[in-house]
Amino acid sequence: MENRIVAENMAQLFKRAAEQYGDLPAFATRIEELQWEPVSFREMYNRGLNLATGLIELGVEANEHVGLFGDNRFEWILTDCGIQLCGAADVPRGRDITDTELVYIINHAEIKIAFAETRQLAERILSLKPELPTLKTIILHEEADLYDDNLLHISTVESTGKNLRADGDRRAEQRMEAINPDDLFTLIYTSGTTGKPKGVMLSHANIMSQMKVIPIELSCTDRVLSILPVWHIFERVFEVYTISCGVCTYYTSIRTLGDDLKNVEPTFMGSAPRLWESLHHRILKKVKESHPMRQLLFHTAYFLSKQYKSSLYFLFDKRLKIERQSMLKRILLSPFYALRWVVVTPFYGFFNVAVLEPVRLSAGGSLKATVSGGGALPNEIDRFFNFIGIPVLEGYGMTETSPVIAVRTDRELVIGTVGPVVADTDVRIVDIESGKTLFPDENHPENGRGLRGEIHVKGPQVMQGYYKEKELTEKTIQNGWLNTGDLGMITFNNCLKILGRTKSTIVLLSGENLEPEPIEMRLTQSPLIEHCMIVGQDKKHIGALIVPDLDGLRGKGIEVANLNDAVVNNEAKKLIRAEIKKTISLYNGFKRHELIQDFTLLPENFRNGVELTSLYKMKRHIIQDKYADEIESMFKHESTGVK
Amino acid sequence: MEFTTQLLYPIDQILLAVMIFSIMFGMGASLTIDDFKTVLRYPRGILIGFLSQFGLMPFFAYGLAVFLNLPPAYAISIILIGCLPGGTTSNMFAYFARGSVALSIAMTTASTIMALIMMPILLEFYTQEFTSALSAELQLAGTGTEFVIPTGNIIASLILVLVPVAMGMFLRAKSQVWAKTAEDTAGFMGIIVIIYLIGTAFARHSGLMLQTPVEIYIAAVCVGLLGFLFGFWMSRLFRLSPIFQRAISLETGIQNGPIAFAIILLSFAEPVQSQMLWLAILYSTFIVITSSFITLYYRRVGKFDYEIYKNTTIHNRLFGDEYVSHYPDGFLPKRIEHDPSQGFTPGQVREKK
Repeated sequence: MENRIVAENMAQLFKRAAEQYGDLPAFATRIEELQWEPVSFREMYNRGLNLATGLIELGVEANEHVGLFGDNRFEWILTDCGIQLCGAADVPRGRDITDTELVYIINHAEIKIAFAETRQLAERILSLKPELPTLKTIILHEEADLYDDNLLHISTVESTGKNLRADGDRRAEQRMEAINPDDLFTLIYTSGTTGKPKGVMLSHANIMSQMKVIPIELSCTDRVLSILPVWHIFERVFEVYTISCGVCTYYTSIRTLGDDLKNVEPTFMGSAPRLWESLHHRILKKVKESHPMRQLLFHTAYFLSKQYKSSLYFLFDKRLKIERQSMLKRILLSPFYALRWVVVTPFYGFFNVAVLEPVRLSAGGSLKATVSGGGALPNEIDRFFNFIGIPVLEGYGMTETSPVIAVRTDRELVIGTVGPVVADTDVRIVDIESGKTLFPDENHPENGRGLRGEIHVKGPQVMQGYYKEKELTEKTIQNGWLNTGDLGMITFNNCLKILGRTKSTIVLLSGENLEPEPIEMRLTQSPLIEHCMIVGQDKKHIGALIVPDLDGLRGKGIEVANLNDAVVNNEAKKLIRAEIKKTISLYNGFKRHELIQDFTLLPENFRNGVELTSLYKMKRHIIQDKYADEIESMFKHESTGVK
Repeated sequence: MEFTTQLLYPIDQILLAVMIFSIMFGMGASLTIDDFKTVLRYPRGILIGFLSQFGLMPFFAYGLAVFLNLPPAYAISIILIGCLPGGTTSNMFAYFARGSVALSIAMTTASTIMALIMMPILLEFYTQEFTSALSAELQLAGTGTEFVIPTGNIIASLILVLVPVAMGMFLRAKSQVWAKTAEDTAGFMGIIVIIYLIGTAFARHSGLMLQTPVEIYIAAVCVGLLGFLFGFWMSRLFRLSPIFQRAISLETGIQNGPIAFAIILLSFAEPVQSQMLWLAILYSTFIVITSSFITLYYRRVGKFDYEIYKNTTIHNRLFGDEYVSHYPDGFLPKRIEHDPSQGFTPGQVREKK
């Protein structure tokens, strides 16, 4: 039963949710393990109106930017509701924001009023006050005893609003009426690794378009556990979506996640690859520690499930199809897969029930599905969870597209892809060198499926631009097409597969971003290193591909005739290892995640026009493809030395 | 149809005994004293379950025997199956059918104990005409004497199968981890042995399946199906909630096969034994298939009301027993709108408009 609300703007969404879902719980906060405090949709809206009126009284104008610095808690969503209801936009960031970022964001967004979650954060902002000419008032979520005229507690603002409303103040309703679909609902600053943060402008129309296209069905009987930071667009869109569907969101934390999974029994969850990695690890560890009989049962069950599911994937054309496959072959093979399915099904049925269900229970038994985003899910883990029967739906998106571009659904579950592109959205695959469209293009066989290139997106979710960055906006969005900077292709069964990034930024598994250029530049300054490329997208740490400098090595007294010699020369390896360790160190100003854990010497130099552009810039994706095996093996075994 | 050779070889009989032992042990390992207390928490459900298990099922079994005009030995066997208590597998099926597992366990527990009294009475009542027919048949063949239902032996075998159950419960009380392992291992062994027995039975008596008259098949399949159907309708008639309806339905149809094997092996002699055993094997095979399909069906139709039940239970778990979940008007279908398990718990009182 589906009854999601699609409103014109966020304020209307809060209002209509209050009308439609009334006394059902909207958000719940943990007080003790089995004692949670619910807040209903109606209560949230009414308190939101009070807060909005209080904010208007404090001088918040329509379309003004209000700072919202804090992490997941009910007051966060209440503040968001208040800000939306008075027609303003929020500028959210977590508690871990740095001082430099605070100063930059508050000044750049011209923030006059900012919410701060904790006393500590408020004190930090106060200490930066001399650098913040626009900031007038700070409003706290947490109780603290340092209030003055410019430092208030949220309840004070709420009660001011409440009294005003009791006297007939209806300014909040007037503000709500005046909201345009193109007005901003949020201004999200993304943390750039180099240079300054960029303010992504997302409008009410942007976020509401997502309510229409998210292909996951939820209703008032569902429960969502919230663990990812809510100020991040990936979690935020689910918070909005749960309001739209009348779902209750339960706030959990890493510390209590295990218990909360068991008690709340969530039916849905937004998650990051890291969570699945640790869960995968935990399940396997538990299996290993169990009775040999149970181990045998588990492995049998897993094997059967694999046979069963992969037969189905074949029969229903849900396998990863990067290359074109002949129809004839498929038809000829189908009976064999069908036979395997028939043979395996009864056994799978038994083992699924007797063995896999308890495993699923340990991961929160009611989970219908979960969307993983914010980084690539390692293939092995992806397969593991799908085979034991917890469908992990991988999605793809970015802050700039508020955020969903593509997501797998139960019906379109092709492992290894991020699923089909969501409705109302167009995706183009563009050749990086020539800038020509590869997909969709009728001149290519299969309309350009299977060709790799840069992903460009057009649709109602594409941001209005970067705040006060006209030039950058024009560079990123051309004729409505947003350049994602990601490399991908459309598979032959119409799913989007992400292959890497065309921009050089590397996102590690932990979510940390790093720019490889500064590291590479530093390394190539060494007389021992001719070329160097840093790799490690979606890995735990980074590694380096290195073309050694023969003259440099000879200068150190190592006799090498050519690159092939150098690759196998242990002396050379040792020397280069020491060099890396010396150059890329914490002492030299590199961050911990920028330290190189492993490297591979390449037996061939980079050639101009092949691996290098005419301007001697590395063509990263070409090098990555050519040395894919070397890169893989580098990350396979434990780090071999450089620390 | 005559059995020219023995249906089970001595080795099979040993295996069967091992299977019965391990399954009953596993059943015990899954039970706690609390499960007996649960029985008291669902008096209405238990009572209706009792009526359908010991009222409807034996009657249907008898009806089938008469209607299909079954040979006396088969008739007695099907009535025996009809009078059995519920099996542990029904708990698993109830879980996947989104039924009340607590009620299913409580019913299994209650019926296993009640069977000590009910089975002899019911068997005596329903099998009268078949035993006299069988006696006449045996005398005609000049082999036997008067055939009587060995009531004493049946009670003795029932007590005997309860011994491993008690042992399992003892283990559970000592170590939960070991009990869990024992339960799984027993289930796994049970499956292996039954597959082996069916496989060898079919291999050795390849003609047997073809020789078996179609009525026997109909009886073996229908006794379970009728149980599912009427167990469901009866609990629906008494306005029990959907999760109870599904649990009672499955509990009624799924009987404790291993007890049937034990009774037949320990209380009946050839040539009746093989015929009775054959029907019990057929029933055990088909019930797994039919209950799988019924479970899949219940799982689908019960999705919505189960989700509401679950959500409401969790609201009460986290927000306190006094919390009332108010679903939007028209969200709950009429059928479950005023159902105590579906929108409010017994401790709460919802004002009716």
